[in-house]
Amino acid sequence: MMSETDRQQMQVDIACVGFGPATAGFLYTINQQLLNPDGTPKLESRVMPGMPLQIVCYERSDDLGFGVSGVVSHAESMRASLAGVKSSDIPMLTAVKHEHLYYLLDPVGASRRSSGVRFLDTLVQLCRWTPWFRDRAFRMPFIPGFLAKHGGWIFSIGQFSQWLAGQIMSTGLIQLWPGTPVSEPLFDSDRVRGIRLLDQGTDLNGAPTEGFMAGMDILADLSVVGDGPVGTVGMQLDDHFGLPPGHERKDWALGIKAVVELAEDTQLQEGSVFHTFGFPEPEIFGFIYIHPNRLASLGIFVPSWLDNPVRTGYRYLQHWMRHPMLAKLLKGSTLRSWGAKSLQESGRLGEPFWVGDGFVRIGEGSGSTNIFTNSGVDEAWHTGKLLADAIVELYGCGKEINKQNLQETYVKHRRSDRLEKEAKIAAHSRDGFQKGLLWGLLGMMLTHLTRGKLSLPIARQSTQERLPNFERFYKKKITASQWDTLQQQADQKGIAMNELVMAQAGWPEIPFDGRLMMSHQDAMLIGGKVQAPGGYRDHVSFLNPQICRSCRFKLCIEMCSGEAITPGPQGVPLFDRDKCIHCGACTWNCTQWLDVAKQKTNIGFSAGTGGLHSSEN
Amino acid sequence: MERFLYLLHHENDGSFADRALEGLAFAKALAAQVGGDLHVAVCGEQATKAAHNLAGASQQPILVVEGAEFAFPRFATDAAALTAICETAAPTVVLACSTTRMTRVLAAVACRCKGAIDTHITGVSVNGGQLSVQRWYYRQRIQAEQCRSKRPWFMLFEGGMAPAWQIQTGTVQIQKVECRLPADKIRTIVEGKRTPSGESQTIRPAANLLFVAGAGWTKKQSDGQTHPDQAASLIRTFLQLGGASLGSTKSLVDLKGEGQTVLPFLTHLNQVGQTGSTPRHPKGLATCCHGEEPHVVGWRFINERRAINLDANCGWAQGKADVLYVADAFAVLEEINKLLQE
Amino acid sequence: MSFFHIVVCSGVAPDPLQTLLPVSDHSAPALKNEQMLPHLLDPWAEHSLFEAANLAKNNPQSKVWLVSMAPRAKLSQVMMKVAQKASFELVALDAPSNGFTDSFAAAEKLAETIRSIPSLDFNRLLLFGGWESASRASGTTLQMTGELLNICDQFQGVDELEVTNDGSLRVLERLEGGEHQISLCAGPPAVLGWATGNLPEPPNNPQVGMTNMRQIMPALQKAQAFGYPADALQFTSVALPQQKRDTELVKDKNPQEIAREIVDWMRRQ
Repeated sequence: MMSETDRQQMQVDIACVGFGPATAGFLYTINQQLLNPDGTPKLESRVMPGMPLQIVCYERSDDLGFGVSGVVSHAESMRASLAGVKSSDIPMLTAVKHEHLYYLLDPVGASRRSSGVRFLDTLVQLCRWTPWFRDRAFRMPFIPGFLAKHGGWIFSIGQFSQWLAGQIMSTGLIQLWPGTPVSEPLFDSDRVRGIRLLDQGTDLNGAPTEGFMAGMDILADLSVVGDGPVGTVGMQLDDHFGLPPGHERKDWALGIKAVVELAEDTQLQEGSVFHTFGFPEPEIFGFIYIHPNRLASLGIFVPSWLDNPVRTGYRYLQHWMRHPMLAKLLKGSTLRSWGAKSLQESGRLGEPFWVGDGFVRIGEGSGSTNIFTNSGVDEAWHTGKLLADAIVELYGCGKEINKQNLQETYVKHRRSDRLEKEAKIAAHSRDGFQKGLLWGLLGMMLTHLTRGKLSLPIARQSTQERLPNFERFYKKKITASQWDTLQQQADQKGIAMNELVMAQAGWPEIPFDGRLMMSHQDAMLIGGKVQAPGGYRDHVSFLNPQICRSCRFKLCIEMCSGEAITPGPQGVPLFDRDKCIHCGACTWNCTQWLDVAKQKTNIGFSAGTGGLHSSEN
Repeated sequence: MERFLYLLHHENDGSFADRALEGLAFAKALAAQVGGDLHVAVCGEQATKAAHNLAGASQQPILVVEGAEFAFPRFATDAAALTAICETAAPTVVLACSTTRMTRVLAAVACRCKGAIDTHITGVSVNGGQLSVQRWYYRQRIQAEQCRSKRPWFMLFEGGMAPAWQIQTGTVQIQKVECRLPADKIRTIVEGKRTPSGESQTIRPAANLLFVAGAGWTKKQSDGQTHPDQAASLIRTFLQLGGASLGSTKSLVDLKGEGQTVLPFLTHLNQVGQTGSTPRHPKGLATCCHGEEPHVVGWRFINERRAINLDANCGWAQGKADVLYVADAFAVLEEINKLLQE
Repeated sequence: MSFFHIVVCSGVAPDPLQTLLPVSDHSAPALKNEQMLPHLLDPWAEHSLFEAANLAKNNPQSKVWLVSMAPRAKLSQVMMKVAQKASFELVALDAPSNGFTDSFAAAEKLAETIRSIPSLDFNRLLLFGGWESASRASGTTLQMTGELLNICDQFQGVDELEVTNDGSLRVLERLEGGEHQISLCAGPPAVLGWATGNLPEPPNNPQVGMTNMRQIMPALQKAQAFGYPADALQFTSVALPQQKRDTELVKDKNPQEIAREIVDWMRRQ
C-alpha cells in the first residue's frame, strides 16, 4: 500500500476544476486583474508572496475545448467581456442574422403522438396551402421572444474555448492543464482544502501497476468547481453537502450534436438559426446553426421526460436529419465531427450550495442554465465573471477567502444580478413537459405572458420515478413476447435494443451514405479519437451488480452516446472506456436507485481521461 | 541535360538488396527517358568485386569506394564515401533507393553537396525534359507531385518502383574514388546486429502476407471475458504456419502501456499505420481492426486485402478491402490454422 | 559520471486521428482548417523528448532543451500537453507547421537557433528528434541539422540508447526486417533520430508542469518568427489518394467456409 507520504503536494492560491465556459469566464476576467501596469502583482499570492495569484486549472479531456457543441446565444455577458475582440478572430463565430422555428410533422408514421399532438398535426396539415408549409414542416410565422437570439452569436464552444485558452495562457500567469482529471475534493470536515488529481499508472480497477504515480494533492485557498453537471468533483460536493432544501435535479436532456460541412452550392446563409420540434418524437427538439465557411452545427435534445424505454440519441438524430425539410437543407453535407453532452435542465431548482469554506461553484453545475430561454453558455460565463469580480474584491481588501466572505461577495452579487431575475422567471417554465409536448408549450407560454408569475401545477419526476415501460410507450406496436425476443436478440449480439425495437415500431432503416449517414461507430471515428489514454482506472462502474441483474429497462445501454455500455453476462452491462465520450447520460438514465435517500443511482461515474474529441466542435 | 548518378551499397555477402536493384532498373529507365547519362556507384567493403555483378548497368565506369571501414552502415564513413562519389561524378540528379543505410545518410550528403533532397519518392514524371517527383505527406495520407530547380537534386526512392534489375556478371570498368577519413573522425564502432530469435521473429518483409492484428483481439468477447492467451496462441500459430509478417494497429500496441495483457510477441516494430510502418506485401489480412482513414494507412501498399471483423461497417474494410468477412476472428483463425496444418 | 546537453528538435503535427484534407491556394499547399485541427508534438519527436528526459534523469546535471518550430498558438496548446511529462527549457520558433515546406530551410534555422543557445556545451551535445515527422515525413531535417552543426556521428531509427560506464553511447538503430544494428559511439556530440523506443509515456506530473510553464510562456512570447522561402519547392498537385475499393461483404458463411476461402486465397499466386 502506498502511504500518504508518497503523494506529492503542491500549493496554489486558486485551483479550478474543468475548463468550460464558466471557468473560461472566470479566468479570462481575473487574468486582466492580476498585474498592475508596471508589472507588479495587483493581486498578490498568499502561497508565494511577491508573486501574482497562483492559479491553475485542470481539465479532464485530452485537449481544451473538446466537447462537441454548437451554440446560439444572446451572449450578452460574453460580448461585454470581449468588447475589444474582433469576432472574426474566433473560429466558427458569427452573428445571429436569421431565425426560424419549424414544427415538423412525422413523415414516417412511427413516432408516438398523443391525441393532442395528432390534433395539432391536423391543424398544421390544414395550413399546407400556405407559404409557411413545405416538406412536411410548418414554419412558425414568428419567433417567441424567449427563444429569439437575434444580434447574439453562433459559435462553437470547442473553438471558442481553444481560442480563449490561448488568450488566457498568453500572459503566462495562469496555467491550464488538459488531460488531467481531478478525482476528488480534499475535505477537512466541511472545508475543502484543495483537490486531488487522479492516480496514474493503474489498471482498469485502479490498482497500481508499474509506473504508478499517486495523484497529486493541489492545496488551494479556493477550489473553483466548474466541472459541469456530471463533473465528479461537483457530484462529490453534492454528496457531502446535499442540495439546499427544496432543490432537486430531476430534469435532464442529452444534447447529441454534430458539425457538418454543407454542400458547396448550399443556400443556407451564415448566421441562420433553425429550431425544430415535433419530430422524431414530439418531445425532441432540434437545431441547426450556420457558421462561417459552410460549416453548420446541428443536433437534437433527448429529454428525461421522453418515456421511451429504448430512448437513444444517435438513432433519433439520424431520423431527424432524414426529415424531408432537413434532408433538403442538408443535402450534400458531410459529417465533420460528432459528440454528445448531458444538460442539467432543472435550472434554478437544481442549484447546489454555491459556496463553502474553500470552494465555490460556477457554471452549469451551479444551476446557472436558463431553462426558459434555452440558454446556458453565456449564463455560465457570467457566473465565472461574477466570481472573478468577487475574488478581485476580496484579495484587493486583503480579506480571507472563506464561506462568509464569498457569500457577501459572489453570492450576494449573483443573487442581485439579472441572472437571478431571469432564473426565477424560468424556474417552472418547463414543468408542463412532464405531461407532454402540448402541456409543455402551454407552460412556456404561461411563463412568457406572466413573466413567470404563473405556472402549471405539475410535479417533476426523475427518470427513476417515471420508470419508462414499453407497454405504455409502444402500445399496440410491440407485444410482450416480441419484446422478450428482441431483448434476447440484442443480448446475444451484445448491442443495445433501440435499433431492433425502433425497426419493429415502424422506423425505417437508415441508408448509409458514408458522408452524413453512417453507423454509430463510424460516426465516432469521424474527426474524433477512439482510445482513452492508458494508465487510469475505468470511470464508469455498475455499483451493485445484483441491481443490474434485476433491471428490466437498461436505459444506460440505450442512451449511451458511444455504445460504450453494452449488454453483459447475467444482465450486468459491460463498459468499454475507449468508446466512452464522457457525456454522463448513464448517470441520469440508470433507472435503479442504489440509495434513494441520497438520490444515488446504481451507476458510478468518477474522474477519467480520454473520450471522443472533435476538432471543430 | 541532366546527369544522373545512382548510388548503391552492397550487403555483407557481396549481394545487392532487391530494393537497390529495383531502384537501379528505375534509374536506368529514367535516364533513358530523359536522355541523360547514368553513372552508377557502389560503396562497401568489397565494392569492386560487387560492382562486377553490375555489367551493363551503365556505359560509364562504375565508381567505387571500398575498404574495411565501409563494411557496415555508419554515418561518418558512409557520408564521406557518398560525398566523395558525388564530387567525382558531379551529377545533377542523385538517385538511391531507401534502404535503411541510404536513408540515414543521404540527406546529410545532399547538404554537403549543397543540393536538395526528396525522400519516399514513389514515382517520377518527365514533362518536356522537366522532372517532377511524387511523394507522400502526412504519413501516406496526402500525395503530392513536386519539382525543384536546385541541383544536385537527391531522390530517395521507395521500393517497388520497377522490377529489380537482373544481376549480370561480366567485365565492368571500375573507377575507384578515394575516400580517407582521419581516424579521429571515426568515433563509432559497429558492434553487430541484434536479430530477433526465430521464435519471436514476426516481421518478415519478404512474406507474401501481412497479418494485421487489431485491438479487438484483446477486448471482451461475447462471454464478457477477454481471452488474450487464446488470441496470442492463435496468432502465433497462424504466423508460423502461414509464414506471414505481423502488423498491428497502434491501439493494440499502446494497450501494453496500460498494463493490459496483450500479445507477448508484439512490439512497436510491428506497428503499422500513421505512426508505424507502411509495409509492402502482395496480400494483407486485417483482423479485429477498427478505425477510419488515418488508421488504415498501414496497408496503403498492400495489393490484395481481406478483413475479418464483427462490424460490417468496419472502417478498415469498407471501401478499402476487397473482401470483408463479418465473423468472429477467433473462430475463423482457429479453422484457418487447422487447414494450414493439414 | 557523464552528463549531457540534450537538444530535442520537434515540430507539431495534427492529431493523427483527424481527417486531413489538402487545399491549394495561390502559394503553397496547406491543410484545410489547419488552424482548427488539434495538434500534438510530433509523435516520434515527442518520444525522443521522453527519452531525453529519462537520460537527463539518470545522468544528473544533464539538461534538456526543446527547440520547436510551430505556429505560436499551436505550440502553446501543445505545451499544455507535454509540459507536465518532462522537464525541459523551450526555445520556440514561430513558424508554419504544415508539411509542405523544404526541410533544408528548417534545418538551417534549427542549426542557427541551436548554435545561439547560451550555455550549450557542444562537447556534451546530443541532438535528439524523431527519425521522421508526421507532417513532411521526409526523415531529412534532423540529419541536415546535425550536418550543419558539424556532428559526424548520426543514428536514425533509434530504439535504444545506453550510456556505458566510460561515457560512450551504445545505440540500437532499426534495420530491415525487425533487426537492429548495435553501434558504440565514443560520446557526444551525436545526433539520434528516434523511432518508437521502449519507454512508456511518462505520467503527468503537475509539479514538473508548473516549473516548466514559468519558462515556457516567456519563451513563447519571445518566439522568433520564421517564414520558409517560397522558391525551394514547387508543387504541381496535392491530393488525397482516390483508392476506393468495392468491398465484397461476406456475412452468411460459417467459420469453416470462411477459413477455406482465406486459405485458398493465401495459397493463390
